[in-house]
Amino acid sequence: MRELWNTSSHWEKDKTEMKRRDFLKDIALGTFLLELNPDLLAQKKNFPDLVLIQGDSPALITKEAIASLGGMKQFVSKGDVVIIKPNIGWDRTPEQAACTNPEVVKALVELSLGAGAKEVIVMDNPINQFQRCYVRSGIAAAAKEAGAKVPFPNPYHLKKMALKGEWLKEWEVFMEFVEADKIINVPIAKTHSLSRLTMGMKNWLGAIGGSRNQLHQKLDQAMIDLAAFFKPCLTVLDAYRILIRNGPQGGRPSDTKLLKTVVAGCDYVAVDAMGATFFDINPQDLPYLRIANQKGLGEINLEKLHIEKRTV
Amino acid sequence: MKKERSKKYRLIQALRIVSQAGFFLLFFYLFTVTHYSGKDYIGQVETFFHFDPLLAIATSIAFRAVFVAFILAALTIVVTFVLGRIVCGWVCPLGSIHQFFSFIFKRTKLLKPKDKQNSPLSWKYYLLIFILISSIFTLDLVGIVDPLSLLYRSLAVGLFPALAHGASAFLGFLYSIRLSSLGDSLTQFFEGLALNSTFRQGFFIGLIFIGIVLLNISRERFWCRYLCPLGALLGLFSRWNVLKLKIDSQKCTKCKLCTIHCQTQATPFPDESWKSAECVYCFTCAAICPTNAVSFPLLPSPPKMAVDLSRRKLLLTSLLAVAAVPFFRISPSTKRASPKLIRPPGALPEEKFLQKCVKCGECMKACPTNALQPALGEAGPEGIWTPVVTPKIGYCEYYCSLCSQVCPTGAIKELRVEEKIKVKIGTAWVNKNRCIPYTLGNPCIVCEEHCPTSPKAIKLVKIEVLQPDGTIKTPLAPVIDTELCIGCGICENKCPVVDDPAIYVTSVGESRSERNRLLLELIKQEPDKKDPDERKKRNEKTDANFF
Repeated sequence: MRELWNTSSHWEKDKTEMKRRDFLKDIALGTFLLELNPDLLAQKKNFPDLVLIQGDSPALITKEAIASLGGMKQFVSKGDVVIIKPNIGWDRTPEQAACTNPEVVKALVELSLGAGAKEVIVMDNPINQFQRCYVRSGIAAAAKEAGAKVPFPNPYHLKKMALKGEWLKEWEVFMEFVEADKIINVPIAKTHSLSRLTMGMKNWLGAIGGSRNQLHQKLDQAMIDLAAFFKPCLTVLDAYRILIRNGPQGGRPSDTKLLKTVVAGCDYVAVDAMGATFFDINPQDLPYLRIANQKGLGEINLEKLHIEKRTV
Repeated sequence: MKKERSKKYRLIQALRIVSQAGFFLLFFYLFTVTHYSGKDYIGQVETFFHFDPLLAIATSIAFRAVFVAFILAALTIVVTFVLGRIVCGWVCPLGSIHQFFSFIFKRTKLLKPKDKQNSPLSWKYYLLIFILISSIFTLDLVGIVDPLSLLYRSLAVGLFPALAHGASAFLGFLYSIRLSSLGDSLTQFFEGLALNSTFRQGFFIGLIFIGIVLLNISRERFWCRYLCPLGALLGLFSRWNVLKLKIDSQKCTKCKLCTIHCQTQATPFPDESWKSAECVYCFTCAAICPTNAVSFPLLPSPPKMAVDLSRRKLLLTSLLAVAAVPFFRISPSTKRASPKLIRPPGALPEEKFLQKCVKCGECMKACPTNALQPALGEAGPEGIWTPVVTPKIGYCEYYCSLCSQVCPTGAIKELRVEEKIKVKIGTAWVNKNRCIPYTLGNPCIVCEEHCPTSPKAIKLVKIEVLQPDGTIKTPLAPVIDTELCIGCGICENKCPVVDDPAIYVTSVGESRSERNRLLLELIKQEPDKKDPDERKKRNEKTDANFF
């Protein structure tokens, strides 16, 4: 299918010479193909695999990134219950870059509702006291303002699920994630002393309950098992301000670096691979990405990907 | 003769009940809002305590200085001078609880009041004397029996945690029968209350309270009559009050209903036996009198001393209080700091802290992580029920200073958040015999990950661990920079070695103490003074290792 669209790009070059008859013929052919296979347009291959948008406004670059991927309608259908999973792990403010930028989250809520979502839920299972994290990260207020539900993690919504992972066979998962029609992952890019970096795949530790602190003994495998289970339809990596030391909490402004960037894509492994480059780390050097790639969960060779980079 | 109850006094009685309910609800409201609710700074939720002259006087004597907020207690004293123990009858929330339950017990015939009640009203005066005399010798025991402290502590540590567990069970039931939406809204309600549900001694503190309430089966307002030292103090202040009971002998039928139903054994009949210092001005006698014979005219008549306090017993009590002071100090806590005695940030040095802390539990209610627990033996007998950070239950939240803001006596000095994060309450230690990397050779960086300081006080170093099969693993293992560690205890709280964490905090190094220090800290300061950049460099080096 990719070839088909690549050929289309060649006629774009010759557009000036194209005749009206050819054009009509193309349209007829296209209509015919669509009749045969209505999913054709739904294939996202015509859009880049990854987009990397840079700009001053976190909300604007998020919206631009989604637009470049074909708009939120590519991911969210009318009437969907969408759950957005930011990182609200710590009792820290946005300037400390320990939690996802609230404006990025807000933009995604707006886009999801705009695409016809019936309900948008934003939640995380924080590490510090949950009310403090929800408030001080700015995420609860921002998401509510945009019309999302922002529930606290309710232990009665935990249910043991068969993760069928290599290591994690079953674990307690918040049912919001299981019951939602679409999952959007909105991590922030930070350093971590065990997985080296924490981005999209590590973010799933916030969608589960149980003794999360025991997962660290085989963290890479846990991250892969969880990511494969949750399968987000879209991952938006907030790299507006990243945490370059003292992760995953940071603290001082000097622990952060302003990149004014978001990365978005469906391939969550690729998004993390792209994120690794912000820290001058080769994705191949991150064991969890390597294993995820070997398991066929996603691409880590960025050269193989169609990446669109823009500044707005 | 016309048989008619006084409309005026029945109205006053109704007003009194409204007042009691209002003040109780105010107390209760201030109690329920004492938690993190989205703002770093909480308002004056502890104000109720500042109107308590017993706390004001006892802590001021013990501490040798008056905490400014206690100025408000002067108002209570002035009111009592003029109107007697009206505060007991119209305001005190614990008094209202006792009266409510006395009423219930009367209605259920558990309590059958008699007209002859000769129980010694003097107990509470001796208790008061004991507390005040021991305060002179810096032994501050007032919090154990002060009615406001008692009530707050019982609610915070005993009753509300029980409510939280009950609610949790109920919610579990709702979810099990698939009433999830009802469950969700109830969950939201309880999340809003932010109840701390885990307390050591919660059971006993709750039991003591229930016991005190059950005493009302024996006598109406038992606590207020015989035990309350605040009531005793107000009784002493009330000697010159102007509201005096008078029985119109023309109308009186000597039915003794007034005395039978007197809430505090002030024996209104006959009126010359009426004890003005015991009367709480509930006006039950005037309202219940079938012939409207009882009234309270303004009479600046000569005072009637209510209770006979024998001079010998007073002397004996005083001697007992003096003797109690060294007795309380036998504990080793005065000799050597207890490792488990981690005080909340802002707590005064231990000696001063004990002189001020009234064990009210306000800090325990405010703590967002349930970290503050009532002490049992850590602080010696006089420190019972004082707050202790207990990392196994909760940790000290880095950017939170609520406990210091709500302390009614300044035993925990009020701190701004930016001041609080610099306060060291203890030091973390790694138990290498239990730590996963040190013993098993497996990776685990949980303590380091949670360490809130920047740069982190827990560093990771590569170590070699011999495996049972003779091979060597080289995991990263935690090492503590005692200079950076503030002792918050999140490492201990989150350590995956759950039963007895492999990293733990002890009180050594706490900023408030001059003695409980690490010698190493003093040595370490030297190179920093010479080269302030050196430490910075060292930390950056550690950070760089992550990449």
